[in-house]
Parts: sequence; structure tokens; C-alpha cells
Amino acid sequence: MSKVGVSHASWDTYRDIEISFKVNGKEVKVKVKPYERLIDVLRNKLGLVSVKGGCGRGECGACVVIMNGKLIPTCLTLAVRADGSEVLTLEGIAPEGKLHAIQKALLDTYAMQCGFCFPGVIMTSKYLLDKNPNPSEDEIKEVLDGNLCRCGSYLRFVKAVKLASKYINEGKIFFDESEVMR
Amino acid sequence: MFRFDVYIPRDLRDALEALRIYGEEMLPIGGGTDLLVLYRQGLVKFKTLLDLWPLRSNLSYVKLEGGLVRLGALTTVEELESSELLKDKRFAGLKDACRTFATTFIRSLATVGGNVGVAHPLSDIAITLLTYDASVRLRSLDGERVIPLKNFYLDKRKTVKKPEELITEVFFSEPPNNASSVFAKLDRRVGHGMGYVAVGVYAELDNRLVKEVRIAFDSIGRPFPERALRTEDSLRGKELSEDNINRAIYEVLPKEMSRINDYRASAEYRIYLSQVLLKRALLEVGRRIGGE
Ligand SMILES: Cc1cc2nc3c(=O)[nH]c(=O)nc-3n(C[C@H](O)[C@H](O)[C@H](O)COP(=O)(O)OP(=O)(O)OC[C@H]3O[C@@H](n4cnc5c(N)ncnc54)[C@H](O)[C@@H]3O)c2cc1C
Ligand code: FES
Ligand code: FES
Repeated sequence: MSKVGVSHASWDTYRDIEISFKVNGKEVKVKVKPYERLIDVLRNKLGLVSVKGGCGRGECGACVVIMNGKLIPTCLTLAVRADGSEVLTLEGIAPEGKLHAIQKALLDTYAMQCGFCFPGVIMTSKYLLDKNPNPSEDEIKEVLDGNLCRCGSYLRFVKAVKLASKYINEGKIFFDESEVMR
Repeated sequence: MFRFDVYIPRDLRDALEALRIYGEEMLPIGGGTDLLVLYRQGLVKFKTLLDLWPLRSNLSYVKLEGGLVRLGALTTVEELESSELLKDKRFAGLKDACRTFATTFIRSLATVGGNVGVAHPLSDIAITLLTYDASVRLRSLDGERVIPLKNFYLDKRKTVKKPEELITEVFFSEPPNNASSVFAKLDRRVGHGMGYVAVGVYAELDNRLVKEVRIAFDSIGRPFPERALRTEDSLRGKELSEDNINRAIYEVLPKEMSRINDYRASAEYRIYLSQVLLKRALLEVGRRIGGE
């Protein structure tokens, strides 16, 4: 066994660990500290600031991303665990200049108020729609029940996911930004 | 704030060696959904985490073999929920526990071993496993120990597990065909998951006669999940009728249960909730075994 312990005298003596993983389709290599959480690395080292820090303790859903097909809270995930994985954040759900059906649907239903919860809501909805393109109202509520929205847009999220499901079933997965943001 | 080292083991043996070398300064981390929250609150101290995730290739499974149901310690709640095994009505209570467990994104991390390891009253999977009279398999460099789950807890956040041991598996005997189970909890907010009161019931019925019944609560007095043995006794061998259920919940349960007062609910209210939930669970388990 290789001994990994280093002096704990001050925080900057902690070693760097190099991890490589795929983020939004791109291979990245990044040095992380053993204590860093995935949210720290995605935001501060990779500039993916859609990942929001809300509660920091798994209760609000603002920080969720899709890792290897699973929806995970990045505030409770050690960054080293991303090594060799595939991570999808809001930045990667549609090609440049396009919006994903769920984004369009959220705009169409005027669901956004402050928008802080949106990245989490969008990733959760995408996770659901990827698994089940025709979710029932109950299934939508069940999956989204971990995403807190202080502005209270919950009912519109349900409407939006239904609308997104309709778009996707019509084969309309991506929309031109110009089509949406008039 | 977050300052610690992490050891990434190659395999189980490497992990056990690390635990031996680091001793109490090292804590294993499963999903981290309990540990990292406690750490953030300053309620737990360690210098190094032992990342158990690499052990998932061997320790994440749900199996039924040789009359034993075996759950790998690193099986996530999501994996347990979507397992073939849980389609069987004999495991309906485990299905309940998974379905009502926290939120989608917590279920993808929280592990069976972690739920048993937290030694906290509101451990839904552990409560349900108690009703199956499950045992915990522990491994260290010295070998293996098997501890019945009912003897596993010592106090809140204290178990008989030694720092150099890892939980590798939880297992229990395959229930007969006339068996099923229920898990139920009451809370203010769905999706938050930490209920006021939680109950698990397992029963085997012969026609309407209770051949076997096991009842576990989040707490019946001490701050960890435990069985309500006297309430069970009062039902064993009797018909699962509303009268017998009422007698058990009104006359027997309050005698063996004491509850805490805190900012979330009074002791009196918690006992009342326990009675209501237990009654619902017993009626439901009867319906499930009857195939309704
Ligand atoms: C928002 C939120 C909601 C929650 N809702 C629920 C709920 O509805 N029901 C419920 O029961 N719980 C709930 N919890 C608590 C927690 O998710 C569970 O207790 C979970 O099962 C813990 O598992 P884990 O793998 O994340 O454990 P960890 O946090 O990784 O570990 C917990 C403890 O067990 C030890 N440990 C873990 N695995 C092992 C092992 N294999 N061998 C030895 N020791 C080990 C760790 O050292 C630690 O002390 C919730 C938590 C959060 C943050
Ligand atoms: S910040 Fe991760 S769940 Fe709230
Ligand atoms: S729109 Fe403001 S928190 Fe959801």
C-alpha cells in the first residue's frame, strides 16, 4: 500500500491529484485537491458556473449534474470520484447557439423567476426525459421533488416537462436560440 | 472548511490495510450523503477518507442465492430499487423504503452499507432490514464477523463495528411465499426524507393467522432503529384482525415505546403517529400477502 498521508499542518500542503474525465463531451485533465468537491472543480477550475451552490448538503438540488447517466449532487461528491467518468452539465445539453427542448419549454411556460434553481431543474428534467420521454404527471413530480425553488415555480415546471416531452416526441430536441429569444 | 486527504484503494484488501495503518484518523466514505453533511456541520472529525467507491465493482449487488438474500454494502438505494429482486411482493417493504428515500439525486449515492453504518434512527433501509432479521457482514485484516443487525447498534452513531472493519454485505434468509413487508414514514416534507416516525413491518400469514411478524421503528426508546418485540409477541399466532391490531397498538406498543420531545414533534405526538402508522402498515401487509 502506498502511504498517501501528508502533513496536515496547513491546507496548502495537501497534494494535488490529477484526474481526467469527460465534461460535456470534451476530455479534460485537471489537478484537484483531495478535499475538493465536484462542484468546486466544475465551477472554479473549469468555469462551468451553471452548477449552483445552494445548501451544500444535498437538500436543494441546485448543484445536480448527470454523471455516467446518474443524477448526482456535486456538493456531496468528491472531485476525485469524477476520474474516468463522463459528466454533463447545463452548458453541454445543447450544441452552441441552440436550446434544448426543456429550456424552450421552460421559457414557453414563463416558469423562470430569479432562475437560480434552473440549472438543477433542467438537469433533473433532462435526466427524467432521457430515461422516459413520456413521463406521467406523478412521475414528473416525483423526480423533481428534490429541486427547491424559492420563487415557487413548481407547477410551471410540471407544465414545462410535459411540453418538453411533447417537443421531444415530435422530434424537436433542439431549437435555435433566435427562434426562442425574440 | 473542507480539508482532508483521501485514500483511493485498489481493492478490498488494500482498503483494509489502509484502515489498519491509519486507525481512527481514517473514515470510510460510501455515498457520503451522511458523512459529508456531518463534516460540514463540524460533527465528525477525520484526517483522511477511505473512498469506498472503487470497491463497487465487487460490493454492489442484489442477489438471491442458496436461500439467502444478499445486498452488497456499496449497492446504492437507486440500484436496490431497480433490482429484479424488488419486483417480488415478498420484498415490497424494501421497495417502499427505496421509493420514499430522500430524492432521486441522493438515492444515486446513498448506499445500503452507509444506511446501516450511520446508526441513526431515521435509517429507512436499516429499519426495513431489521424486519427481515438481517445480519451485517464485517471484514477486517483479521477475517470476517457476522453480527445480527439487531445487535449492531450501541447508541446514536455508535455501532459494534471496529474502526478497522468494513461492512461488506447485509444478508437475510429468503422469506417464504406467504410473506410480505411494508415500510412507512410520516414527515412534513416529501423528498426531505427525515421523518418524524418510521415503521417497518414484515409478516408471514397462514390464511389470516399471523405465523410470524417483525416490527421495527426508527426508535422505541434508544436513539437507533429497534424492534418492538412485545408488540410483535402480542400479534404472533393471532388472527390479523382489526381488533387484534388495535389491542397491539393501544395496549402493548405504548408500554414498550418511549419517544423524545424536540422542536419537530412532541413525544406524545410521536407515539400517536407510531400507532397510526403501525396500524396502517399491518393492514397493508395483510392486503399485500392476500395479493390485493
Ligand atoms: C437530503 C438528504 C435526505 C436524506 N433522506 C434520507 C431518507 O429518506 N432516509 C434515510 O434513511 N436516510 C436519509 N438520508 C441520510 C443518508 O442519505 C443515508 O443514511 C444513507 O444511506 C447513507 O449512506 P451513504 O452511503 O451516503 O453513507 P456515508 O455518508 O458514506 O457513510 C455513513 C457512515 O457509515 C460509514 N460507512 C459507510 N459505508 C460503510 C462501509 N461499507 N463499511 C463501514 N462503514 C461504512 C461511514 O464511515 C459513515 O460513518 C438523507 C440524507 C440527505 C443529505
Ligand atoms: S447545493 Fe447540492 S443539493 Fe443543495
Ligand atoms: S426561479 Fe427562483 S428559485 Fe426557482
